[in-house]
Amino acid sequence: MILQETSLEDTDMDRSKGRKLFMTVLCLVAVSGALPIADLLDRAAQHSDRLHSLSTLLTQEMDTHFPFMEQGTTPQPSQCHTSTLEGPTDKVQALQVSEHTLMSLLRSLLQSWAEPLAFLSASANTLPHPAHSSIFNKIQQLQQNSKSLRHGLDILSARMGPAAQVVSILPFYRNDPGDKISKLINLQFQLNCFRRDSDKIDSFLKVLRCRSGRMRPDLC
Amino acid sequence: MKEVSVLLLCLSLVGGKAAGLGPPGKPTLINCRSPEKETFTCWWKPGSDGGLPTTYALYYVKDNSDTLYECPDYQTEGENSCFFNKYETSVWVNYNITVVATNEKGRTFSDPVDVDVAYIVQPHTPENVSVTVMEDNGWPFLRVSWESPHKADIRSGWITLIYELRSKMEGEDEWEENYPGQQKTFNIFSVRSGRTYLVEVRCRPDHGLWSDWSPTTTIKVPQYFLGERYLWILIFVFSSLVILILIWIIYMNSQSLKRCILPPIPGPKIKGFDHQHIKNGDYKDCFSTLMIPEFPPTSSLDHDNLLVEIFVRDEQEASTEEEGKDLQENYCKSESSMFDSDSGHGSCDSHILLIDKSKWTDNEEAISNRDVVKPEISQNSRAERPSSYHSSPDACDGRVKTWPSLFSPAPPYTSSAIPQKSSLERMKQHCYSDSLFAPISSDKEKHKKEAKRELQASQSDVFDNVFLTPFSSTQYVEVQKVCSNDTVLLQPVVELNRRHAEAEGCSCVVGQGEDYSKVKGVDGGNMVLLESGGNGAGMEMDCFCDKMEERRSCLANVKTHKNVSMQIAVQQAQGEQRQMVDNCYVDTATMFSVPMC
Repeated sequence: MILQETSLEDTDMDRSKGRKLFMTVLCLVAVSGALPIADLLDRAAQHSDRLHSLSTLLTQEMDTHFPFMEQGTTPQPSQCHTSTLEGPTDKVQALQVSEHTLMSLLRSLLQSWAEPLAFLSASANTLPHPAHSSIFNKIQQLQQNSKSLRHGLDILSARMGPAAQVVSILPFYRNDPGDKISKLINLQFQLNCFRRDSDKIDSFLKVLRCRSGRMRPDLC
Repeated sequence: MKEVSVLLLCLSLVGGKAAGLGPPGKPTLINCRSPEKETFTCWWKPGSDGGLPTTYALYYVKDNSDTLYECPDYQTEGENSCFFNKYETSVWVNYNITVVATNEKGRTFSDPVDVDVAYIVQPHTPENVSVTVMEDNGWPFLRVSWESPHKADIRSGWITLIYELRSKMEGEDEWEENYPGQQKTFNIFSVRSGRTYLVEVRCRPDHGLWSDWSPTTTIKVPQYFLGERYLWILIFVFSSLVILILIWIIYMNSQSLKRCILPPIPGPKIKGFDHQHIKNGDYKDCFSTLMIPEFPPTSSLDHDNLLVEIFVRDEQEASTEEEGKDLQENYCKSESSMFDSDSGHGSCDSHILLIDKSKWTDNEEAISNRDVVKPEISQNSRAERPSSYHSSPDACDGRVKTWPSLFSPAPPYTSSAIPQKSSLERMKQHCYSDSLFAPISSDKEKHKKEAKRELQASQSDVFDNVFLTPFSSTQYVEVQKVCSNDTVLLQPVVELNRRHAEAEGCSCVVGQGEDYSKVKGVDGGNMVLLESGGNGAGMEMDCFCDKMEERRSCLANVKTHKNVSMQIAVQQAQGEQRQMVDNCYVDTATMFSVPMC
């Protein structure tokens, strides 16, 4: 996948620089109001795309070493802690929902994952996984990426109105099973949940981007 | 009875199993695909049917409820498929799908599979792939354009498609791949005229699966001379103009070009012999015309390369000579025209230079080459010429040319017979001295003496102390060396051949040595010292590596020929008493080392 490859090639330096630049630009833009929302959304969509690619890679890396976690035995997404966040589940719904609602949903999702990612990153260090250092690395990147995206969405929502400001942060229960295998399985499950949510975020942002850029066919 | 019925039942059961009847085999789900993230389809592969008609059913459970649903549509996508329409499709929801095979004998469940629509998106191939040939500054390129699959909703942004294009020339094995990204057009620039190209396009969603390749589109690039044609026309016209101009120039200057490339043979620049003078018997004046005042320079002249050709006519020709033609002529031949910086090549036909042709009766065939020293043999019996020896072409028709330049201001040379080294390679102008060896007879004594006198007289300007004994046949003697002390070392020309052989290394066989005698030297007196070369007809000289030995052996050979009677004046160069030998052969006893100047 091209997007995944490009995101992998990014070094940390570039990403942090890019993020800082993005933040600066966004701040300035938010103050000056010069940048149109379409470009901001485009930039945010690129971020979310990279985020999703990263998380997909991460879950694949986990699965290669533990093939017993097949699809049949994957815990249901309804068990993810974000499952209570109701959102559109098909295109029709997604196109019907207003931008503010979508933005609010996105921000809630991202916010809800902030803490669990930190927890998972901490636990990944002591994983009994052969590639645990690489996994740890990737989780760190996930964290940083989602953080920058969060900031960007905050700025965007500030431009969109008060309705977009509603954010509901869902609680995350740290279940810390004692044995390491359960830890592993739990990690895998959580990462799968995150992967799905990142895909949601990506899709909705792209819908928003396309919707806001009606005069710019290159965005769609 | 009961046992019989039980037995029959068992048998029927067994018989039924043996016939393959039974519950169906386990079906397996192959895959599920969604082309646009709005609907999806699942396919399964049936197991064995157990020999009985089997029905298949698909059941699924969504993860957020426990309700079991059955597949709504088994037809749309064909056999063994289940199609979920957009109302039944939810994205980011786990479908737990199971296929059940049922027949009379029982039912079998497949393994359950979890499907999330978001991860199984595989769009259809791009549509309406069109390729056109376009031109960019005279160079062709291909513009490929296509459309997204009609079902994928790109406009709303629900799906974002990325495209991949591949192309190749007809006949190639490898495809060239390109990624236009989200664009729907692409230009291929590395295109050659006259070739056919194949193009295919496919797409995928940003986090989904690649579609199939579109059907191959072929396009033939026409012979693209549009831009090139004008260039070729221009080149053609220009080059033809240039060629015409060149031809015209050449034509206009044809005469001067001819003169430049094929220069005419210049006429002689020397006055040569004045026949009137000769007729008048004024030999001195005759030879004076041959002299150039400033030539040769005294110090730098390469004496070695002078060949003085001295001939003495025998009595047969003496009669013709009575008219007063010169007895002795010095012929200089230029060895090869190419080295001759001075003109003179064309003096072949100069009447001034050439002595009366009639004197030279049978020389013509002998002269074929330029370098030659023609052995002229006055006697008609000598039909053969040493043809192996190089003849100078200049000698055309038996004449030898003189180059007076060698003679003129030189200090008087005494011709001493000294074998000459192979000077052919070096200096180009040789004066060959042609010594006529006439058979000695009493009749001729008188002529000889006359000849002597005449020779002396005629050569007084050029050669002092030239003495030639009359000989029975003409021979060429070449000057080997001009010694500063007025000596000219003469050597029969046959020596050259031998010297050649010597240079090449070792043995040589001289076939024609018969006419040449080696002039050993000319002593301070009026004696020409000759080494006896081969004076006999058909004598062969065997040459050996050792010079001394050569000489001796040559002489030894010479000695064997008795039939030639010649007189050779042999004198030991180093001061031995001169010996006038009245026979043709040199007494080997008296032959000696070459006098050194």
